[in-house]
Amino acid sequence: MMLTRDIELLDGLPLIHIKSLNALVGADLHLGYEGVMAKKGVFLPKVNLKRIMETLDTALAKTRAKMVIVDGDIKNEFSTVEQDEFNELYDFINFIKGKGVTLTLIKGNHDNFVERYKEPFKLEVFRQEAKMSGYLFFHGEELPRDLKKVKMLIMGHEHPAIGVFNSGGGKEKLASFLYGSYKRIPLLVLPAMNYFAAGTDINLQHRSMLLSPVLKQIDVDKMRAIAIGYGSTIDFGTIGKLREV
Amino acid sequence: MIDYVKEPFSEEQSLGVLNKYVKEWFNANFKELTPPQRFTFKLISERKNLLITAPTGSGKTMSGFISIISKLFDYSLQGKLEEKVYCLYISPLRALNNDIHRNLTKPLQEIYTKIAKEKGVDIVKQNVRAVTIGVRTGDTPQKERAQMLKHPPNILVTTPESLAIMLNSTKFVENLKSVEYVIIDEIHELANNKRGVHLSLSVERLANLTDAKFTRIGLGATLYPLEEAAKFLVGYNGNVPNDCTIVDASWSKKLDVVAISPVKDMIYTKDNVVEDSMYDQLNKSIKESKTTLIFTNTRSGTERVVFNLKKRFKYGEDIAAHHGSLSRESRLEVEDLLKKGSLKCAVSSTSLELGVDIGSIDKVIQLGSPKSVTRAIQRIGRAGHSYKAAAKGDVVVLNRDDLVECTIMLDAALKRHLDSFAVPRNPLDVLAQHIVGMSLTKKWEVDEAYNIIRNVYSYYDLPKSDFMALINYLAGNYVGLENRRVYGKIWYDEKDNTFGKRGYNTKIIYMLNLGTIPDEVAVNVMVSGTKKWVGNIEEEFLTKLKEGDIFALGGRMYRFEYARGMKAYVTEAPSSSPTIPPWFSEQLPLSYELANEIGAFRLEFSKLLEDYISKNKINKFARRKKMPKEIDAFLGKLPVDENSKEALYGYFMEQMLFTKCVPNKELLLIECTGDISEYKFYVIFHSLLGRRVNDALSRAIAIKIGERLDSDVGVMINDNGFMLVFDENPKVSEKVIKEVFAELATGTLIPLMKKNVRKTELMKRRFRHAAARSFMILKNYKGWKIGVGRQQVNSQLILKAVEEMDQNFPILKETYREILNDVMDLPRAEEVLSKIRKGEIKWKLIQTPFPSPFAHNLITFGHADVIMMEDRHRYLQELHKMVMKKIGSR
Repeated sequence: MMLTRDIELLDGLPLIHIKSLNALVGADLHLGYEGVMAKKGVFLPKVNLKRIMETLDTALAKTRAKMVIVDGDIKNEFSTVEQDEFNELYDFINFIKGKGVTLTLIKGNHDNFVERYKEPFKLEVFRQEAKMSGYLFFHGEELPRDLKKVKMLIMGHEHPAIGVFNSGGGKEKLASFLYGSYKRIPLLVLPAMNYFAAGTDINLQHRSMLLSPVLKQIDVDKMRAIAIGYGSTIDFGTIGKLREV
Repeated sequence: MIDYVKEPFSEEQSLGVLNKYVKEWFNANFKELTPPQRFTFKLISERKNLLITAPTGSGKTMSGFISIISKLFDYSLQGKLEEKVYCLYISPLRALNNDIHRNLTKPLQEIYTKIAKEKGVDIVKQNVRAVTIGVRTGDTPQKERAQMLKHPPNILVTTPESLAIMLNSTKFVENLKSVEYVIIDEIHELANNKRGVHLSLSVERLANLTDAKFTRIGLGATLYPLEEAAKFLVGYNGNVPNDCTIVDASWSKKLDVVAISPVKDMIYTKDNVVEDSMYDQLNKSIKESKTTLIFTNTRSGTERVVFNLKKRFKYGEDIAAHHGSLSRESRLEVEDLLKKGSLKCAVSSTSLELGVDIGSIDKVIQLGSPKSVTRAIQRIGRAGHSYKAAAKGDVVVLNRDDLVECTIMLDAALKRHLDSFAVPRNPLDVLAQHIVGMSLTKKWEVDEAYNIIRNVYSYYDLPKSDFMALINYLAGNYVGLENRRVYGKIWYDEKDNTFGKRGYNTKIIYMLNLGTIPDEVAVNVMVSGTKKWVGNIEEEFLTKLKEGDIFALGGRMYRFEYARGMKAYVTEAPSSSPTIPPWFSEQLPLSYELANEIGAFRLEFSKLLEDYISKNKINKFARRKKMPKEIDAFLGKLPVDENSKEALYGYFMEQMLFTKCVPNKELLLIECTGDISEYKFYVIFHSLLGRRVNDALSRAIAIKIGERLDSDVGVMINDNGFMLVFDENPKVSEKVIKEVFAELATGTLIPLMKKNVRKTELMKRRFRHAAARSFMILKNYKGWKIGVGRQQVNSQLILKAVEEMDQNFPILKETYREILNDVMDLPRAEEVLSKIRKGEIKWKLIQTPFPSPFAHNLITFGHADVIMMEDRHRYLQELHKMVMKKIGSR
């Protein structure tokens, strides 16, 4: 569905396509997640990278985009780069390059060492935020800084989702975009691309449970939830209304 | 071959097999042999594999041990008794283990003293050593265990879990190679669950280690079918079960039972009058007897009864509660007081129906239905001073369904019609654990291991493909080559077809995580959107909850919203009435066999009533009129009191006159009705098949009807039937019902049900159990305990990944098997559907202006459920539509 004239939310995918940039934007990949969990004794089969690649494959074929922007947290660990993370980063970057597409990274709170790969892989890496044709991309663990001439803020970090019930009583968690505004500038929060991140069901959580300082400063209940699942992307209305259900 | 011995041996023959000293000791301590002992002394001395069932208080322990003790003293007298384990005794209860140890220590000492006295100093010269006994359980201190390694006892008393540890300890296993006898006690507590399967794998592995074949002895209370229990005990050899002799001495104790209605009219008598009358009767029984044991089915019920008895009749410390939620100390104290005979009355939920010696009880009172004939016999069998006295038991019933159920249950007990147990078939999670265990001891040929496993009764028809799927999972073959070092618990060499242990961590992981009983903790109940804690519920109860269910906690009503990890989120629902009773997860399901017997009774009784009604042209039921003679005579043959007879007659007459028929074994009544005040429409299936069958059957039918009507269907179930709940009149026609039954053809049910349970809490929780048993998640990693909440979150991540990866992944497959075959009873649901299609069970669709009497108990409590929509995309739209309906605009 079209969010604005320039931005399409790709059906059923946690990605947006910005036409003016001809770029796909996604966030929170957390590559290497399974390897990190295995160290803690949780032996998750590896599916995350595979699924992310499939998602991008579908999206690239559909949009013929020339750039992929990762809006923070491409990898999982905070302090080091684990062997598994490195391997998956390597595979991911080569996969993108193999598609003839450029990769732009916005640094997230999990990405401490990513800058190290800027040179060898010839990547664009932004430490804090990046402004491109009026869009400000930032991860979301800190407030955005340069709001001058920004037409939309785009962030990740929160892993938003909504919890929905059907009449029989089953609860389903659906990854979701959040769309609202911050200081009168439109704000779009991207769902996590990580396969394992079920997300925070924003409509069931108290505001104090939210992660990002950006969302704590605004009234999240006024944001619209646009959920994805089962191959579709559907507008569910505002969080506030969803809370009442 | 499995054979029965029905004729006991004479006392002379029996005692003749014992050596002189043991015989003298026995004669000095016992006047005569008990019924089981008349069989076992001789049979065990002949080294026959033996399964023996016997009532409590019939000298079961001695019947199993005396011939073995005699044999060990023979060795001793011949100077060849070594520091080796000759006899292994395994019971599921640690408390029982301590009892056994205590009860055998004294005879062993006394017999040895006798020998020592007679032989004098020769005892040293001839190397006549004392026969030793030791206990090893999870409670045994490290120091004692180390001691045991150096000086193993001749008789080792242990639990299934400790046996598994010993088997994988390279040093200790040497002490077990000499085992000549294996005794498995309380076999009825093991044969029907994964813990028992785990044990029988250990036993077959032990058999593979020992130099000679050991004799297997199984002891238990009443269970059926005994042939299956025997096979469980002795295992298979190739495709045939090993030899086993069965002795069924459980019937040596007579039963004296009756179903009692506390009041004449169970419908119009006020609640408090029913209660008063019930407590008066309890008080009367307690006063009349020296010691009374009361069973209540639930823990909260236990507390309530104790509270009321104390309050109403001024009892003091002479009445006590005993249930699983009490501390170990207070339970032991109650057991001790019972043994001493200093309690007037003990009240228990289920905990006192098992093994431990509780002294003599005059009478057992069961409140409400115990749901199975076997359990009724076990509980009532607690009464009676010895095996010679009849066991006296009253079953007090509290509603009319309960009454029918208990009447037929007691009648079946008197006729010795038992319900059957079932061994879980090919559980892959338990097997995964043992394959890791096996790999710790040596390098295995795949086929060699496979053949040993197939000697276990539960796995005798294990498909090789399932076994290989486990080998591949454990070898980490589901991840890339470079990660197998991390993921693999074993290595597997395809070329040589061998496997063995991988990595130095595996042994530690195995030892810290083995066992089949899932870690469970209370679930915290929180008010949604806040941090307010309102109480705890059990996890099992959580698996029964659906969003919107109302339940009581701490005297207040809450609506269940959702769960995460070990937290359940609710909203306050002060003026709502509960939809699910708090004891629902504790209440055991009615057994299928008993359900069938009740169905047969309904058939017979309704025929009699039909004749009577047509002969006398009755169309109104006069409640006050006296019961007709022929009916009085028919009901008089059942073990019931006068009030119960009246209630049975009234209940059936009302149904008969209202619906012109009574649902029974051969007739499935489907009743379309409504609840005008709440604008609800019900389609009630009077399928008296037990909750496990109804659970599966109701889901399948609800899915099919939901598809037709293109809407979600609410489902409520109990043992006597199930009902579908609609907001609009579903207008279910005979054609619809016919088509639904036709569509549910054999083979279609499994995929349908899998889809249905996929997103439920039940699935998430059971997957965690299976994942923990198969070491997919760990309860303890490198010495760190992992909390149950953490385990749950981890297992959900794994579930997500596994579903993505392979729908046939062995542990996923096992979770579905456990849910469909152990939690529910899908095979029997399929059987019932096939009977319906063949016309062996007829069905009849009726419309009623309001629910018929047989539906009333179902209407008043239930179990809502979700039926998933067929098309995933439409499902999302459906979710959306509903949200939109409520909130109106975008």
